[in-house]
Amino acid sequence: MSRRGAFITLTATLVIVFGLLALTQLTGTTPRLGLDLQGGFSVVLEAPAGTDPDVLDQAVEIMRRRIEALGDVQEPEISVVGDRTVEVQLPGVTDRERALAAVGTTGQLEFRPVLAVSPIPGLSPVFLNVEVPDDGSTTTTTTVAGATTTAATTTSVAGTTSTTEAGGTTTTTTAPPVDPWEGVILPEGVTRCDIVDQPGCLDPVSGLTRVTVPGLEAFLATDFATGGGIAYHTGPARVLGSDLKGAQAQFQGSATGAITGQWIVVLDFTEEGGAKFAAVTAELAGFAPGDPRRQFAIVLDGTVQSAPSVANDVSPETGISGGSAVITLGGSDDQESAASNLSVVLRYGSLPVAFEQSSVESISATLGSESLRAGLIAGLGGLLLVAVAMILYYRALGLINVIGLSVFGSLMMVIFSALGAWQGVTLTLAGVAGVIVAVGITADSYVVYYERIKEEVHGGRSLRSAVDHAFTRAIRTILTADTVSFAGAVLLFFLAIGSVKGFALALLIATMCDLFVAVFFTRPAVALLAQTRLGDGGRFSIRGATGLPTEGKQ
Amino acid sequence: MSLWRDLYHGDTRFDFFGLRRRWFAASGMIVAVSLLALVFLRLDLGVDFSGGTLIEFGNTNGVSVAEVRAVVDGSGVGSSKVQQVGGTGIRVQTAQLSLVDEDRLVSSLADLLGEDPADATRQSVGPTFGGQVTESAVRALIVFLLVIAVYMSWRLEWKMAGAALVALGNDLIFTAGIYAVVGFEVTPATVIAILTILGYSLYDTVVVFDKIQENVQERGDRHTYGAIVNMSMNQVLMRSINTSLVTLLPIGSLLFVGSYLLGATTLREFALALFIGVATGTYSSIFLAAPLLGMWKEREDHWIKVRHRLERRGVAEEFAPHELVGAHAETAAAVVAASGAAPRPPKNRKRRR
Repeated sequence: MSRRGAFITLTATLVIVFGLLALTQLTGTTPRLGLDLQGGFSVVLEAPAGTDPDVLDQAVEIMRRRIEALGDVQEPEISVVGDRTVEVQLPGVTDRERALAAVGTTGQLEFRPVLAVSPIPGLSPVFLNVEVPDDGSTTTTTTVAGATTTAATTTSVAGTTSTTEAGGTTTTTTAPPVDPWEGVILPEGVTRCDIVDQPGCLDPVSGLTRVTVPGLEAFLATDFATGGGIAYHTGPARVLGSDLKGAQAQFQGSATGAITGQWIVVLDFTEEGGAKFAAVTAELAGFAPGDPRRQFAIVLDGTVQSAPSVANDVSPETGISGGSAVITLGGSDDQESAASNLSVVLRYGSLPVAFEQSSVESISATLGSESLRAGLIAGLGGLLLVAVAMILYYRALGLINVIGLSVFGSLMMVIFSALGAWQGVTLTLAGVAGVIVAVGITADSYVVYYERIKEEVHGGRSLRSAVDHAFTRAIRTILTADTVSFAGAVLLFFLAIGSVKGFALALLIATMCDLFVAVFFTRPAVALLAQTRLGDGGRFSIRGATGLPTEGKQ
Repeated sequence: MSLWRDLYHGDTRFDFFGLRRRWFAASGMIVAVSLLALVFLRLDLGVDFSGGTLIEFGNTNGVSVAEVRAVVDGSGVGSSKVQQVGGTGIRVQTAQLSLVDEDRLVSSLADLLGEDPADATRQSVGPTFGGQVTESAVRALIVFLLVIAVYMSWRLEWKMAGAALVALGNDLIFTAGIYAVVGFEVTPATVIAILTILGYSLYDTVVVFDKIQENVQERGDRHTYGAIVNMSMNQVLMRSINTSLVTLLPIGSLLFVGSYLLGATTLREFALALFIGVATGTYSSIFLAAPLLGMWKEREDHWIKVRHRLERRGVAEEFAPHELVGAHAETAAAVVAASGAAPRPPKNRKRRR
């Protein structure tokens, strides 16, 4: 290697590496720390064996949306690992219960036939399901009915001006002496939560089902928060989310001569789902057009998303057969978002998977920062020891090694900062361990090279030629050995899961940095050093390290 | 000339190959003891593998382990393990608890220790996840070994790949054996560490074999294979020692800082396995892989012939003049051949210029 070439290479390397380091420092980019280094909450969820990978991806998408709804999470990390495991990492989250609820519960999508619609927004139809007593107290019934009716009108008026959220509550409290539950007939298997707390029970205040059970009738409403709040009495779920293959929002043009096109959602059922859907629509088509019972409610997590009625031309004999169906929404612009929302709910709303929480872990922020501190102290201490040992062994060459390690360290810092900022890669404790191991591998590259120089000098070469010759020989060994490390790291990265992955990534990056430093730093640096006084004079020089006297002295 | 000087200059003349039976016996014994320990003592699997609930608190007020145990036992969570970890830390390990029970235990522990419940590090693991991590790691391992075997067969030769894998097996069994004997807990960090050991052990062996291959190419059949192995080993001995030392330094620092100064348990667990693994990795590549390779190669027709030929000439020594490399190798070898291949004493050659 020529002196000029060595000088240019060396300068360029140092400028690039330290320039990049300065850049990351100036822009405030630091490596993103993993959960174990900054504290937080992590859950590992496991789907039953044989779950479709696409389904897992959908589940991850839904969880991401729910976690974003939590608000206080900075950069959640949700990933599918292995073939049926989802790992959720929420750095900085302290509210365990809420985090668990966000990722743990499955969104259950159900198609339920509508049995009745409450004429009063916000009032559960269960309160209308009142037994008419025979003992002449008809007045009571009428008062109840009257009270609720008047109350309803007030609610709807109030609803336009103020919150409608407590609609059900205000309705019942307007007639204080009357217990809304008096005389109410509950469907079979359905209980009141304040009497028998079981799945499918009714909230004592709103009279709505808290958690739906597919096999039971339910009292459900559209989302209160969005205003509206139409309450439905629905039958048991007839078609489940898992029966649905897909759903897509489309704009249907006015080919048939209609004035405007219409937004539609096309449903695509599985074979089994198609049969179920045909059966239920056949039943519904038996009701006269306009009857509320011609509707079916699309329910996600206990909220009615939509309740389309079966079209008038559907035959009560066959229902809607053929495995697909169309929900027509309308032509206006806001129907566009309604259609796409509905299709998203239909597509992703349901997780046909019941996840099991196989690991729940929360790491306190204190412990996280302590681990980080320990890792840093250990790393620096280790580097210092390595530096001392190398200088003792190899003298001037050892100095190059120390600078080389700092080049290596800067490079790692830059790469991890960049990966953290662009790819969201986090540095975990296992990663730190990988880096520390890599320090050993890097140092070894020097040792291999330096021992080679010693050998070549012993073999009788001049120092300058020995330095060059040794490198071509040493890089062969370094390449072979690094290939082994590299292959190991790559395979671990792609095949392993959990913390092993973080370790593998650190090792992978470190191995590449090692080669980079060997070729672009160590080689020119040693070549230059060999041409200075530190190369060939005195005990501290390269020749001194080889244990042979200076050429001049012989 | 002291041993140190010889080492430093690569002038040692240890008979690694000649004493192979001794090393094999030692390795065999270690492996046998390790296997026995694994069978009878079993590995102590951490919660990540066996499932369970783990709660860790700082213990700045210095509450005794016995007091903590009393609280844990009093809370009716069944069998439990209470440990002091690091300098100031308490770790409680139980069977997997329900969220409610876990919260209750955490708050009663927080009361006792005078810590904030939010500062607890807790982990609740079902029995299957750890298995999955291990399973994926083992699968990765097998693929890795196959790939490496192919690579080494191509880059070096297949017998080298075989010998390297045997040495690797030795390291893994030995490390696992130590865990079984001492009763250290096996955690995911241990699995990672073992994977590292694997990489490191191979790396070390590759460096040694690379040297052997180079020497074989350079000197061909002027020496027996055993002699070349010996020569190569002595040449790379300093490198092996240096590298191991340099690798062990940061790991040792990790071990020391992790376990005694700051009580970061993951670091300690990791460093421990690495420390043992790197040490055995160095041992096995020098004392196991290389002699094994030598023995294997000496059985090849070619090398048997070489040995016979050299024996007839009375020069089939276990040592070859190993200092002659590079451009001077050819002339030096010629000199050696002329002088009946007698190994030159290193001292003479040193002043040779």
